[in-house]
Amino acid sequence: MLRLFGLKPCVVPTQIKAVLHHQYMNAELDATNIFTSIRKRTPIVIAFICPDRLTVTYSRSSGPGGQHVNKVNTKAEIRFHVQTADWIPDDVRNKIIIQNKNRINKVGELLVTSEASRSQQQNLNDCLQKIQDIIAEASQKPHEPTEEDIAIRRARLDYMNKERLKQKKIHSVIKQSRKVDFD
Amino acid sequence: MSASKTTGGKAIDILRNLPRISLANLRPNPGARKTERRRGRGAHGGNKSGRGHKGERQRGNRPRLGFEGGQTPFYLAIPKYGYNEGHSLRPQYQPLSLRRLQYLIDLGRVDTSQPIDLTQLVNGRGVTVQPLKRDYGVHLVEEGADIFSAKINIEVQRATEGAVAAIERNGGVITTGFYDFRSLTILCKPVPFFLSGQPIPKRMLPGEDMVRYYTGAENRGYLSDPEEVERARQELAQKYGYVLPDISKDELFHMLSIRKDCRQIFFGLAPGWVVNMAERKILKPTDEKLLRYYGS
Repeated sequence: MLRLFGLKPCVVPTQIKAVLHHQYMNAELDATNIFTSIRKRTPIVIAFICPDRLTVTYSRSSGPGGQHVNKVNTKAEIRFHVQTADWIPDDVRNKIIIQNKNRINKVGELLVTSEASRSQQQNLNDCLQKIQDIIAEASQKPHEPTEEDIAIRRARLDYMNKERLKQKKIHSVIKQSRKVDFD
Repeated sequence: MSASKTTGGKAIDILRNLPRISLANLRPNPGARKTERRRGRGAHGGNKSGRGHKGERQRGNRPRLGFEGGQTPFYLAIPKYGYNEGHSLRPQYQPLSLRRLQYLIDLGRVDTSQPIDLTQLVNGRGVTVQPLKRDYGVHLVEEGADIFSAKINIEVQRATEGAVAAIERNGGVITTGFYDFRSLTILCKPVPFFLSGQPIPKRMLPGEDMVRYYTGAENRGYLSDPEEVERARQELAQKYGYVLPDISKDELFHMLSIRKDCRQIFFGLAPGWVVNMAERKILKPTDEKLLRYYGS
């Protein structure tokens, strides 16, 4: 639902709009734009994860850290059964199983763990991000060449062939000019 | 002993029969006051009187603080660097952890049935904000996010992503709003302001450095687009792995949807109004120039 709380949005005063316009009007091609323009060519679907379909467990992390690492459950692990995960499309699901054989156990559950940070919450975010990456990688479709691309490719091939024949002719002329014909 | 028949109990019965209290009858409890050790008055306050034996120490001629006998002192050997340059111009925010907020709510010092504002927090003595010391308000921090479980409509000046997630996970609403120095002083101490008899000023808009923060939906800024905020709420729920509760189905929906206007300091009071505490009246301006000024 788009309208938040049914509230009238606060009217942004004109002086703020002017400041924003000044800040952004010259940003034609900055870092974020470049990234999105590249990404537009291969759109990656970000899947909607249902948190109640995932099993989250916390345990103690490994590594140094004294009393804190010994006592606090900072390692986060998420697991979910891939085949019965109907919130992922069928073809993506199959691809996940093929691509992530090493992460799937005998029962068929995909396991994702993280103990990168000191905070349990950050590790949980990391796990969710990893799941997003897995789904994104599995849902990547091979790039279909458009008509424009095919036309460009054909034109380039023709040009390459023509160049090759031209060079061949030049070479042939050079070789012939070296012949001495005794008439 | 039989119970006393008067209010005040046995103590007041005894007092009635005692002589009048005067300086002659009063003395402190034994051990409460210890006599000080006066220097130069014999036994262990006397002799050298704690000054040591000869030299600069006894004669009171020691060099200045920091002097190291001629060696380049520490405070001159270390090169200067602008760590504190412009420190008096840097905005500061008093941190408020979710743990402290839950503590205040549990003790009843902050009322969750009404929107929570900086005024409510200061009234409940939850935070102390000093606008004169470059404080620009309160910063909500996610310490204690795992034990936080209260549905509130809160307005702070800054909030971390984890704190926003914790509040929205419990079905609450959080907004970040900017208060300039005068508005902040009034917000923290409303009663002295009302007693001064001045009309409520309009809240100033953030400066260039803060516009970006308060127009951003990720920060739940008060100047941001509500649609973007809704999208940001969904994204945050995905990122932190919780189901976003639907607020519109809530019975407290009306309370949760109360928000201040960008020029408003108090809920229910508009800029330009004068609050008369003694007579419990509110005076509103009628002149059209004033109305145009306070309405802009």
